[in-house]
Amino acid sequence: MASTKSNLKRKASLAEVYAAYEAQSDDEFGDGLLEGVLEDESEDEESEVGDDDDDDDDVDRDGFGAEDDELASDDIPTDDETPDKRLANGIGSDQEDIGPHYRIETDANGGTRYVYDDIDPVYDSDDTDAQGPTNTIGDIPLSFYDSYPHIGYDINGKRIMRPATGEALDALLDSIEVPKGWTGLTDPATGKPLNLSQDELELLRRVQMNEVPEEGYDPYPDTVEWFTTFEETMPLSAAPEPKRRFLPSKHEAKRIMKLVKAIREGRILPYKPPEEREREEEEEEEVHYDLWADETPRPPNVMHIPAPKLAPPGYDLSYNPPPEYLPTEDEKKSWEEMEPEEREKEYLPQKYDSLRRTPAYDEFVKERFERCLDLYLAPRIRKNRLNIDPTSLLPKLPRPEELRPFPTIASIEFAGHEGRVRSVAIDPSGQWLASGGDDGTVRVWGLADGKQQWRVKLSSEDPVDAVRWRPGQESSILSAAVGEDIFLMIPSYGNPELEQASRDILDAGFGYATNGKQLTTANGAARKDPPAKWSRPGTRLEDEGVLLKITVRSPVKTISWHRRGDFFCTVSPTGQRSSVAIHTLSKHLTQIPFRKLPGLAQTASFHPTRPLFFVATQRSIRCYDLQKQELVKSIQPGARWISSFDVHPGGDNLVVGSYDRRLLWHDLEMSSRPYKTMRFHPQAIRAVKFHRSYPLFADCSDDGTLQIFHSKVVSDLMEGPTIVPVKMLKGHKVVNRLGVTDIDWHPQHPWCVSAGADGTCRLWT
Amino acid sequence: MGRIKKKGESGNAKNYITRTQAVKKLQISLPDFRKLCIWKGIFPREPRNRKKASKSASASTTFYYAKDIQFLLHEPLLQKFREQKALEKKISRALGRGDVGDASRLEKNAARPEKTGKPRYTLDHVIRDRYPTFVDALRDLDDCLSMLFLFANLPSTSTVPAKMIARCERLCLEFQHYLITSQSLRKSFLSIKGIYYQASIQGEDILWLVPYKFNQRVVGDVDFRIMGTFVEFYMTLLGFVNFRLYTSVGLKYPPKFDQAKDDEAGELGAFKLEGNLLNGSAEEAPAQLTNTETEAGPDPKTQAEVNKLIRQMRETDVDGDRVETEADKDESIDAIDKFEPAAPGGDVLPQPSHSGSDPESLFANCTFYLSRETPRQPLEFILRAFGCKRIGWDATLGEGAYTTDERDPSITHQIVDRPVIQAAMQEGGDGEDNQTSQKLAANQRMPGRTYVQPQWVWDSINDGEMKRPDLYAPGAQLPPHLSPFVQNTQGAYDPTMPLEDQQTKGEALGDSEEELDEDEADEDDADDSLAVKKIETGADSMDIAQSDDEEDEDGDNDSFGGFSDGEKAADESEDDEQAAELQYQRELEAELTGKPVKQAPSNPQSKAKVEAKKRLAKQAKEEAEEIERAKGMLSKKKRKLFEQMQYTNSKKSAEDLKLREKRRKLEKQKARAKA
Repeated sequence: MASTKSNLKRKASLAEVYAAYEAQSDDEFGDGLLEGVLEDESEDEESEVGDDDDDDDDVDRDGFGAEDDELASDDIPTDDETPDKRLANGIGSDQEDIGPHYRIETDANGGTRYVYDDIDPVYDSDDTDAQGPTNTIGDIPLSFYDSYPHIGYDINGKRIMRPATGEALDALLDSIEVPKGWTGLTDPATGKPLNLSQDELELLRRVQMNEVPEEGYDPYPDTVEWFTTFEETMPLSAAPEPKRRFLPSKHEAKRIMKLVKAIREGRILPYKPPEEREREEEEEEEVHYDLWADETPRPPNVMHIPAPKLAPPGYDLSYNPPPEYLPTEDEKKSWEEMEPEEREKEYLPQKYDSLRRTPAYDEFVKERFERCLDLYLAPRIRKNRLNIDPTSLLPKLPRPEELRPFPTIASIEFAGHEGRVRSVAIDPSGQWLASGGDDGTVRVWGLADGKQQWRVKLSSEDPVDAVRWRPGQESSILSAAVGEDIFLMIPSYGNPELEQASRDILDAGFGYATNGKQLTTANGAARKDPPAKWSRPGTRLEDEGVLLKITVRSPVKTISWHRRGDFFCTVSPTGQRSSVAIHTLSKHLTQIPFRKLPGLAQTASFHPTRPLFFVATQRSIRCYDLQKQELVKSIQPGARWISSFDVHPGGDNLVVGSYDRRLLWHDLEMSSRPYKTMRFHPQAIRAVKFHRSYPLFADCSDDGTLQIFHSKVVSDLMEGPTIVPVKMLKGHKVVNRLGVTDIDWHPQHPWCVSAGADGTCRLWT
Repeated sequence: MGRIKKKGESGNAKNYITRTQAVKKLQISLPDFRKLCIWKGIFPREPRNRKKASKSASASTTFYYAKDIQFLLHEPLLQKFREQKALEKKISRALGRGDVGDASRLEKNAARPEKTGKPRYTLDHVIRDRYPTFVDALRDLDDCLSMLFLFANLPSTSTVPAKMIARCERLCLEFQHYLITSQSLRKSFLSIKGIYYQASIQGEDILWLVPYKFNQRVVGDVDFRIMGTFVEFYMTLLGFVNFRLYTSVGLKYPPKFDQAKDDEAGELGAFKLEGNLLNGSAEEAPAQLTNTETEAGPDPKTQAEVNKLIRQMRETDVDGDRVETEADKDESIDAIDKFEPAAPGGDVLPQPSHSGSDPESLFANCTFYLSRETPRQPLEFILRAFGCKRIGWDATLGEGAYTTDERDPSITHQIVDRPVIQAAMQEGGDGEDNQTSQKLAANQRMPGRTYVQPQWVWDSINDGEMKRPDLYAPGAQLPPHLSPFVQNTQGAYDPTMPLEDQQTKGEALGDSEEELDEDEADEDDADDSLAVKKIETGADSMDIAQSDDEEDEDGDNDSFGGFSDGEKAADESEDDEQAAELQYQRELEAELTGKPVKQAPSNPQSKAKVEAKKRLAKQAKEEAEEIERAKGMLSKKKRKLFEQMQYTNSKKSAEDLKLREKRRKLEKQKARAKA
């Protein structure tokens, strides 16, 4: 059937073949034929078919001219014709077309021999490149030529005529008998119906199926083993086999023994599939045993600080707290507005009326996490918290009522001085008050009535800087310092016996005066003038009761008597070398104990019981032993400028006042630093004084006040003295930034007297 | 003369090293160092002199004690860390080569505790090292328990493996079982954060916090790796502690764990304790947990019949029955008799508060039933820990109930936490229908049974006695739940005490003055006769409002009854005298002038008040002066200290003051509402 079809087709196509291409197709055919002959020997049919296909391709490329050839090759795969048959077929066609190109001769053996014509190899003879009559109209629609007999122009400018459309009968035939490879399409280039050959269809199919387009191509051919297929008979090397080929390896034995050992020891376990191993691991419980079977308590390390426990929950953390713990609206608002770090509590108390309404706590995980961080990140310090009542820190002060008596109010005011009163003193009997002031007078007042009993004007220009009574009840001698002079006087208030006794004491020294002077001159030849001159003050003053005048080199500021009444010391801060002088009343003798002092001497005093002598310079107080003539102690109160000090009647304590507003208590037995520092005054402290019998002392200050302190000194060494401020006495006016200049205590009663810059003295009881 | 000391060779400079130095010295990574510090309990220090320790470098750093780090150098775990590090390096190298097979083989060797919850190392030696004695370990158990209970309630995530959670849960349940067996739970507290428990083991008080059973929300940046490190250590610790505790009460550790029961939310019931040496009473408790089947066994119809019968019987003599049982109880208990003074004047001797019965076996004779809406886990634990043997609950709450039948006649207490529904209040004839079903209708009550809210359990165990159930009845306004952990210090505000006992005199005065004002305002509205009546009651009309208050309170709750009479009398006596004097004087004056007495009824009171107030102010002023005087005698250092202490104290007292004020306001509101 195929053959008939091909015949039909051939008929149809034959009409279309151009004569010009016959020769070319001839050549082709010849080639194919030769090939076919050659291949017949070695290869099978399939390979030949493959070759033919190759040819087909070529023909296709050639275009129209290959039509018949194509037909011929078409037949081969479909009909399984032998090459001979094909050959015959081909020959037939050849013959039909152009006649034979060869002659048949007989060769030497008597067989037939085909002798072909010589091919003239002119330029055009085998032009495979030459294309068919291509249409040169370009890329314009063919419909433009619908009205013309041609459909374009060939390369030579000749018209390509529109192929004659088949007759109606032909068309009918065509429609009845579908030619082989008919597609129903028209080749636009040529205007002919486009037919596809079986091979082309097959090719398309293969391409479609993703196969190798070439038929019969084996992508995986068997390898041809060129060298190993043949066994060599001769060895490559003639060397004899080495010994090691026959002996077991020692190294391997070693390694094996290692493995064996490991297996025996259980280090290498037999293989288990990983799933099984995992399961086993899971099943394996954690081993628990008594970890603390042999516990031994270890003393805690000093450096180890255990983590503090979290505080237990308070009432406000309850899910149903007492209503007073719930925050008010304002508190809630302020809590929410605060930064989370600043909040005092990290939660707001909430109330839920039943347990089922209580929700989860949002911050739970976060709080736990923060605790974890605290545990390993927070530096720990051991802090000692005093868990005591703060009031226990306060000293147990006796109540003011228990500290009585002490002066509380100003009972008498002694007015009369013009200008400031610089110094006051109460006489040892406690009846008289002496005062000296800027007006250069010394006045004696009756303490009980406040009346002026006696008055003397010592100087018109210099003020009276200090007034002191001689201790001892047997006499009534008053000393006063005015400039460089020290006057000793006997105020007269109607007690002639006492006056006489006093006069005797003062006069007793006149016999010694010269002696003393000689002594000093004999000792120190270099010194020309004596440290002091003892003399009568003159008749005017003598009449008034001033009996003795001692003149020293520089203005005297303070006088301090020894308890026996025979010595008194004076201090003149401006006197360089002779600032401190000790005067002996019975011998009219003046001595300068210190040639040099570290700083300006401010005041000096005798110890109340022992032969000690205190000298205060600006910064320190020094204590000298008069008998041994050596420095016993140096006290550093720490004040900038000491104004005054007083020794406790017991002798072991000292109170120091300073211009830098400090009042300092020193325990002489303890250290050179103050035992207590009190700063109750806003202004400088002028004077301090102990009471002789009561546990009281007082200070006075430029702020116009006196402060009374209760000070109990016990003999018990373990207990320090108790100092209690009891009273602040106000009354003096401040004049020119000076308030109270001096104070003195009554020898028997808890009364004190103060001298003010306002020109008055006051008695406080 | 010794050698000259060089700077930076001793003391602070030598004793402290920075973290960077420490990490370098140990040759480990920072995360490993962190782990090591957490496990070994190494913490940063604050050097006494920071400048010397940092050698004057200004950057702020954390310091570690040098000897601590030296101590870490000998830690065997360091070797494990290094091995792990080498392995990680090998794996990453294999991955870099693209050798996936090799990498996966190596990966199998690697321990991934963050995924599997199982490390390759053990922390036994660390625990032994940190806690040389068992008591030391107990002392540090607070954080351990809080942490493990939290993790037992966490959902599993990539950072928290499910196995770790399961292990935490198991350890916690085992610990709870010990507490139940040894009856060492002491107190518990419902807070907004969770439930606090306090147990006393070998004399050590352990306090821990358990979150409510909700899904935990993780807010902020929480690093679960750090928490995981802690949990790893705590799991090991609690394992060993549990072992020791179990063996100490003669139990075998670990107890038998029934996976099937645990899957059905058996919780505590999933464990079966076994005696180690002697088969003591410990085995009974778990045995009773498995009673459910036998109870549920009988045919519902017959059960219903029986129930009906019982109910009928009960209904006939509910009250009588109860009284009888109570009487029986009283007789059976060999309680200490309460001695109360018959005549005034004698000394009061202290008596033990718990009459005979241990607080540990508080619920021994009760059978509880937990309603569906109550938290089963904490209730079961607490009830068991306080001696209750039979606890039933709704079947939805999980496995292991004594009974799931709400109508079980043996139940004595039922814990409910649902509001009373008004619509279902009337119990008509529908009781018949309900008997066939196991569940009761919303508001239906079984007779002969006490219905309480959950807080009753907590308040009962904290006070060591069964609280009055009527205060805790379903739907009732609950009394405040107070923390049992607060140690009341002298002077601090205590909500259990009446306000009058705590307030200062000044406050009391201010308070009564306000009241007085209110009274006056009231009087205007009231009839004259009322006013007259008030005057007749006596001089202390200002106290009327107070006494009214108290009477109201008495009506509310009897537990508050009768405390205030004595102190009130004492309080009043002073005022009385004064007021009486004043009154007398006024009467005399009235007689003289011939005017009626009732002219100025409230005036004298207010005058007295004002005077008292003045006196108080004066006194306060004097005291302040006294303190000022004494303060002058203190040294500067001590004065500073004193002022600081006073500051904190005043802050505290200000807080107390605020609380008292709030309470006063609330009480007044209440009184007004009552009136």
